[in-house]
Amino acid sequence: MIKAKDLTYEYIRVMETDHGTKEEKVSALKQVNMEIEQGDFIAVLGHNGSGKSTFAKQINALLQPTGGTLWVKDMDTKNDALVWDIRQTAGMVFQNPDNQLVATVVEEDIAFGPENMGVEPKEIRRRVDEALATVRMEEYATHTPSKLSGGQKQRIAIAGVLAMKPDCIVLDEPTAMLDPVGRREVMETIERLNKEEGITMILITHYMDEAVRADKVFVIDDGDLVMQGTPREIFSQVEELKKYGLDVPQVTEVAYLLRKEGIDLPADILTIEEMVGAVCQLKSTI
Amino acid sequence: MIRDITIGQYYPAESPIHRLDARVKIVVTFLYIVSLFIVNTIMGYVIVTALLGVVIHASKVPVKFMLRGLKSIIIIILFTAVINLFMTRGDHILWSWKFLTITTEGLYMAIKMCVRLVLLIVGSSLMTLTTTPIQLTDGIEYLLRPLKKIGVPAHEIAMMMTIALRFIPTLLDETDKIMKAQQARGADFDTGNMIQKAKSLIPILVPLFISAFRRAEELAMAMEARCYHGDENRTRMNVMRMRGRDYRAAVMTAVYLCVVVGLRIAAGHLTFMI
Amino acid sequence: MSIKINHLTHIYNPGTAFEKKALDDVSLEIPKGQFVGLIGHTGSGKSTLIQHLNGIISPTSGEILLDGENIHKDKAKLKEVRRRIGLAFQYPEYQLFEMTVYKDVAFGPTNMGLSPEEIHESVISALQTVGLSEEVYEKSPFELSGGQKRRVAIAGVLAMNPEVLILDEPTAGLDPRGRDEILQAIKELHEKRGITVILVSHSMEDVAKLVDRIIVMHRGKAAMEGTPREIFSHVEDLEKMGLAAPQVSYVFAELKKRSFDVPTDVYTIEEAKEALLKLIKQVKA
Repeated sequence: MIKAKDLTYEYIRVMETDHGTKEEKVSALKQVNMEIEQGDFIAVLGHNGSGKSTFAKQINALLQPTGGTLWVKDMDTKNDALVWDIRQTAGMVFQNPDNQLVATVVEEDIAFGPENMGVEPKEIRRRVDEALATVRMEEYATHTPSKLSGGQKQRIAIAGVLAMKPDCIVLDEPTAMLDPVGRREVMETIERLNKEEGITMILITHYMDEAVRADKVFVIDDGDLVMQGTPREIFSQVEELKKYGLDVPQVTEVAYLLRKEGIDLPADILTIEEMVGAVCQLKSTI
Repeated sequence: MIRDITIGQYYPAESPIHRLDARVKIVVTFLYIVSLFIVNTIMGYVIVTALLGVVIHASKVPVKFMLRGLKSIIIIILFTAVINLFMTRGDHILWSWKFLTITTEGLYMAIKMCVRLVLLIVGSSLMTLTTTPIQLTDGIEYLLRPLKKIGVPAHEIAMMMTIALRFIPTLLDETDKIMKAQQARGADFDTGNMIQKAKSLIPILVPLFISAFRRAEELAMAMEARCYHGDENRTRMNVMRMRGRDYRAAVMTAVYLCVVVGLRIAAGHLTFMI
Repeated sequence: MSIKINHLTHIYNPGTAFEKKALDDVSLEIPKGQFVGLIGHTGSGKSTLIQHLNGIISPTSGEILLDGENIHKDKAKLKEVRRRIGLAFQYPEYQLFEMTVYKDVAFGPTNMGLSPEEIHESVISALQTVGLSEEVYEKSPFELSGGQKRRVAIAGVLAMNPEVLILDEPTAGLDPRGRDEILQAIKELHEKRGITVILVSHSMEDVAKLVDRIIVMHRGKAAMEGTPREIFSHVEDLEKMGLAAPQVSYVFAELKKRSFDVPTDVYTIEEAKEALLKLIKQVKA
């Protein structure tokens, strides 16, 4: 579905110094190689400035590689003629819910994408209704977005992408500005769309409890794809994650500390249930 | 004060006026404004006011709501009245003191201008009160379309209006937050002279502008990500269609215009109507 | 300086269709020097409460006493109240406006009418307290990282030498590194200055690490209060209010349910490790 070969992105940053301006070459992505299958749920982790947001924008062809190649459904993102097809295939949801809704009425906003694609009016109507139902916001169809909660706005943004019938949705820290209730709403929506509609989800986040729910985790640090694997494989490497400025779930860290004390616990504990289960297990083996 | 401005607000209701095509409403409003300048007799104003009353009644927008809109521009109306009252020269002097004189003509002119202004504002706010912002921008886009040939960016103008309407509440909200935050740092917006007051706005305006620019940048990117590329090959979910009632409204407006023009011509001959 | 809140009620848009009771007869007392965590989901009334403390909004009924004096009694003193009770809003970087970090932090003390020497002293002291190094003083605040911007904004409030510092969601939207930076800065400033700190947050993990006392707001009322230990042992009550305890609190609540002999008031990673080690030793013996 999505494949990167030596994907590199460099840009020139102009810095103001005491001796006038200085130009500096920044490598936001350095020869990244990876592959994402249709229907995968991928979490991308990395601290701010690690290059994870640049990676997200590559998939949507908002940025184009300066070296290497990125294919979205076999379409080369460097090919300018394919830009609109790529953007339709890989939709994007951004961090700030306010800054991505265009229209003053919810359903008009959802229609924005298909309208740009030149879809027939009747078909747009059908898609808008369907997308609203999928994110469970039907009753808000004629409301104005500025009156909705953050979580609701993000669900509208997701619906706006859904109406474009994408194969893949890239979400760039969609929960960073939300409260716990909003985060839960959005995460449920993302998981449901992945499981039920088979849409490939690429979730950029720095919440570990969200990454734990993905099929696969990528860790990006300083433009390099430094770790990839299942959440279990990634989070069991507590020290390495801390080195990249990332968290691990509390229970994983407790298990890690106990293992250091010589207690025989599995290293890949991710959830509360697993921790409780492991302690029960420990009791029965003694 | 800001809350009293009804121009540009939408009043949701189910009425024949609400259901009219936005394009028809825009054109009718435009012709109505023209008609206000054709009319020059008392009889004419009585007719226009009566007709406007009928339309307001049909629109189900409460008269109180419409009049509230006038409150915010009362100063402009009074100013117009005073200017006309004192500046119009005439033969029948009613009152005079030093350089100030009021003539019958001036009095007549002041009343006429005020009536015109009130009718103009009430009439045009009736259009915005009965048309959603989206319909309005769609209507404007459609009507400006012929002007595209001479380089008027019709689609862009409409898109700008839509985005402005979308972000006004967001930015108002943000202004409130920034004001509170600066107040918490001891900023004072209420006391001091004009210059001090103007200066005290900087700590609000700078963050507001920076935030607005960031929003604009992010919004532009989000729009691009959703395949926005101008109006080329762009379709709309809601297609505007003229229906029976729209044609009927158009015909009625035509008749109304004929009456107004007729009155004006007749007024030239029949002086008793003045 | 102690804060006393007596029967505070606030109703937004009274008498209209949008009427909303945001605070409902809240009574609280916050002694000097305490580090308080204020938690509650969006709409629980916590934002309304902190805006009252700083005198930015006035109560519908009830009163706020600062060292025994009603803050709304004398309108002329309100500015002084705002200085004594510093409030840093959510996303404080949205209020930065000056050309340099130094000037931005000086905005508050300048408004207070201090002498240039006093301003300089307050600014430097505030910047040092939040752990910003000298090389950023002359930089534009807009060039800094997210975590640094937040520290500048907090220093801007701190420079007015408040006796109480209220921080509204200081870590919202930051990555783990930025979050740790800011929490460390807050912890240190509480220790160094010994002032009262009120931390408003959604994140139980953040709150658990720092505070002496937690106040839980729910539907306009102060629904629970106590030490983190007391609060986080009521996992189920918190869940009912749409809140969550730190992950380890759940583990111990569940172990207790399965009749393990464990404490239920565990909330930090260190404590969890110790308690589990003890449990395992017990079982072994």
